[in-house]
Amino acid sequence: MLTYIIRRVLILIPMALVICFLVYLGLEMTPGDAVSFMISPDALSSMDPAQLAEMREALGLGQPFIVRFWIWLSSLLQGNFGYSTSGGVPIGRILSDRLPATLELSVAALVLSTILGSLLGVISALKRGSKTDSALTVVGMLGVSVPEFFFGLVAILIFGLNLGWLPVGGRMMPGYVTFWDRLPHLIMPASVLSIMLTAGVMRYARSSMLDALSKDFIKTARSKGIPEWRVNLLHGFRVALTPVVVLIGFRLPVLLGGSVIIEQVFQWPGIGNEFISAVRGQDYPVVMTIALLSVMTVLVASLIVDVLTAVIDPRVRLGD
Amino acid sequence: MTTNIKLAKRTRLDSQFDKIRALEEAGLARSAGGSRFFNKFKNNRLALIGLIIFTIIVLASICAPLLTPYDPQKIDLRAILQAPSWEHWFGTDRTGRDLFARVLYGGRISILVGLGSAILSAALGVVIGVYTGYVGGWLDALAMRVSEIFMAFPQIILVLLLVSILGQSLLNLIIIFTLTGWGGIYRLSRARMLSLREEEYVLALRSFGLSRPLIAYKHMLPNALGPIMVNITLSTAAFILQEAGLSFLGLGVPLSLPTWGNILNVAQDLRVLQNNWWIWLPVGTVISLFVLSVNFIGDGLRDATDPTQQG
Amino acid sequence: MTDTQDVAISVRDLKTFFYTNNRCNRAINGVSFDIKKGKTLCIVGESGCGKSVTAATIMQLLPRLSRIEEGEIIYHSEDGDIPLHALERNGRDMRRIRGSEIAMIFQDPMTALNPVYSVGFQIKESLKYHTNLGRKKAHEKAVDLLREMGISMPEKRVNDFPHRYSGGMRQRAMIAMAMSCSPKVLIADEPTTALDVTIQAQIFELMDKLKREHGTGIMLITHDMGVVAELADDVAVMYMGNIVEAGTVDEVLRNPAHPYTRALLASVPVLGKGKNQDIQAIRGSTPDPYDRPKGCQFAARCDFATAQCEAMPAETHITPTHRVMCWRYKELSGHAAE
Repeated sequence: MLTYIIRRVLILIPMALVICFLVYLGLEMTPGDAVSFMISPDALSSMDPAQLAEMREALGLGQPFIVRFWIWLSSLLQGNFGYSTSGGVPIGRILSDRLPATLELSVAALVLSTILGSLLGVISALKRGSKTDSALTVVGMLGVSVPEFFFGLVAILIFGLNLGWLPVGGRMMPGYVTFWDRLPHLIMPASVLSIMLTAGVMRYARSSMLDALSKDFIKTARSKGIPEWRVNLLHGFRVALTPVVVLIGFRLPVLLGGSVIIEQVFQWPGIGNEFISAVRGQDYPVVMTIALLSVMTVLVASLIVDVLTAVIDPRVRLGD
Repeated sequence: MTTNIKLAKRTRLDSQFDKIRALEEAGLARSAGGSRFFNKFKNNRLALIGLIIFTIIVLASICAPLLTPYDPQKIDLRAILQAPSWEHWFGTDRTGRDLFARVLYGGRISILVGLGSAILSAALGVVIGVYTGYVGGWLDALAMRVSEIFMAFPQIILVLLLVSILGQSLLNLIIIFTLTGWGGIYRLSRARMLSLREEEYVLALRSFGLSRPLIAYKHMLPNALGPIMVNITLSTAAFILQEAGLSFLGLGVPLSLPTWGNILNVAQDLRVLQNNWWIWLPVGTVISLFVLSVNFIGDGLRDATDPTQQG
Repeated sequence: MTDTQDVAISVRDLKTFFYTNNRCNRAINGVSFDIKKGKTLCIVGESGCGKSVTAATIMQLLPRLSRIEEGEIIYHSEDGDIPLHALERNGRDMRRIRGSEIAMIFQDPMTALNPVYSVGFQIKESLKYHTNLGRKKAHEKAVDLLREMGISMPEKRVNDFPHRYSGGMRQRAMIAMAMSCSPKVLIADEPTTALDVTIQAQIFELMDKLKREHGTGIMLITHDMGVVAELADDVAVMYMGNIVEAGTVDEVLRNPAHPYTRALLASVPVLGKGKNQDIQAIRGSTPDPYDRPKGCQFAARCDFATAQCEAMPAETHITPTHRVMCWRYKELSGHAAE
């Protein structure tokens, strides 16, 4: 098992390096003085041209490209992400401010959609051909077809503006301390964000479950005279689960992408919101860093999915 | 034990069976003739409904000048924010432009972006995937790595990143969608090629001395067309959703052009959202319906081309 | 008919129809036979003749779009007769019989075991629902069963996952699972088709042993006439959903009365006869099940067909145990000559 994990990590490293390289290439090619995102703007304003030139030399900006890349990468690994060009704030601080909000939203949506999606998918598969099944199929189609922000707008109009049950946006208000204070703010964005995922998971869980139920070992299980729930859940669902878990990993990019728009709709102060402002303001260091962060998240997630699959499915675990 | 045995009851399925059996005994039942593909697609009610909605929306967009006398760009300050009426079916927006006309003309651009990007990215993916999948070697490995890098980015984030670098324009958006969207279909066609490569007929063609591109594109590609068609439909739907999302954020097609997403852009304003529902609700519904119809068609195509599904 | 003392399951005029693609396929069109205690009944026929459907019907393991149309399957249990055909498909009564009274082993051991559970777990599952054994006792029983089936180091192998087993071992594990609750009847649906010939012999030996030692009635489905000669006590030959000929193994193999049985026997090479023996393939192929001939289903491929064959021949008894569905059996069977 351990060797399996190590092997997977080793495959990831070159890929991560290439992506870092590409991102740095992008940074170098986009307009803006490289020095301006490597040192704090306060320090920058107090420097005269001679000092600036010295600083450039010290930062290695006169060095060949590859060396500059190396300096950037090593400072990145030390947690120094550079500075935003528009606000002059350290990017590291922006990330640490914004990350909790995005994590909260994504985890809530992921949990919600996984549970609801597999549940509905399994019901749909067990009742295949019935009215419930066709209704769920159409609902699932709607879920992947209606733009998420449109769902968001409708939700805001109904639950926020007309009924006034939930706040229309934001996350924190003065006086909020615990998670429960924030919960009303979380409900709408998390539910809306999870719609598309739920629909996807449901469609997938359904076909995965149908596939599992058509296998010979289901007949074997029935021939043993064990109860139907056991046939369906222990034999059917357990086998159907593996691809569903894999799918959740593959859905992570969708989730991250979706949260960019949903955060905007609900004015949720997360990474996605920051990303949009950065794109609008052409604040390239922030854009690049967030993009890099999202790629790394996806890569790590795919690693975790692989490990999880191995845990669930003995055929993969034992490596034969 | 014989005392309390529970006997099977008749179910809904039983009456269906009875009907089929009666038909069979009357000698009326007949296996449908003709192409299996068309029969299956024809019997898929949702796919047919999808095809009808799709056709209506596409035709309406193409024939926009026939359906509305209004110019989608014409500002009319005397008719600002009017609710739907006989004159303005979907009402007017903040500068008095007729929304029905904007939805129709906007459809042209949104569908162009969606369908165009889907076809272009499919073409790119297929050309690379079919050839490298068949030839293999370092070219294949390289293409695979490149696609992995593209696919590691959440698509929206990569798209936004490129938008911020390349700038906003209709052409740029199509190029960006193509660049970010080819990975999926590349992998699909490559995988298909890898399995086809082992088939006897390919070996036979090779022994005839046919050139590799000829074998790959002329003799193997047609066998992979089914899944590719399905993929094109599904990515059309995805691209239309993305265009709408980007334009909604104001980062897609420049706001000077009407597209479905651009019309929705103003709904970020809570006052518009609450008071002027006609600006965003109809166009949102149209997008949803269109994407829904494309997804239904894609699903129908998938069922019809999938030989393992009986039904 | 035969006295019911030694009969475990009697099937009478059974019809099972399939309803896929809006068509009705008469997969089994009226078959009758008995599975006797401590005997092996072999059902032979080409693929698609309804052998496997017969097995699935007895176990009520039919696919969703199919049902038992007519006829009866009576299981003569120790507590009285149970009409299997009328039970709810996956209901409590059917489940109580499955696995404990009637067990089944399947064609492909590669796919018949669940890949995500250990072999031991899958054997114990059966024990859990049909016996009162505790967790530990059940585990011991599973180990014993595997040992009995000739699996080496059963204490270790019991915790292995199926993919660690070879094909032959998996089929042994399947038999262990089937035999775990000492069923009265074992239904084996081509248990060796997916296995090597050498393994085949071992599996059959195992089944023969079970029959002798536990008095289990066995219904063995096969398309291999060699297997029939080897193992069967009784034989039923199926063609297109009918039993065209049935009897004891001697009667059927020595005095085949139906042209189809004769053709099947003629198509088997005999070891020791050398290269030049006259092996005859049956000409043509089975008719489309949706477009069946009116009368005798075999007529189109039969060398002896006459105009009479356009009507369905009735089942005729040649001896009390030997019956056949053919108009011209008298001319064809050895009995006529006697």
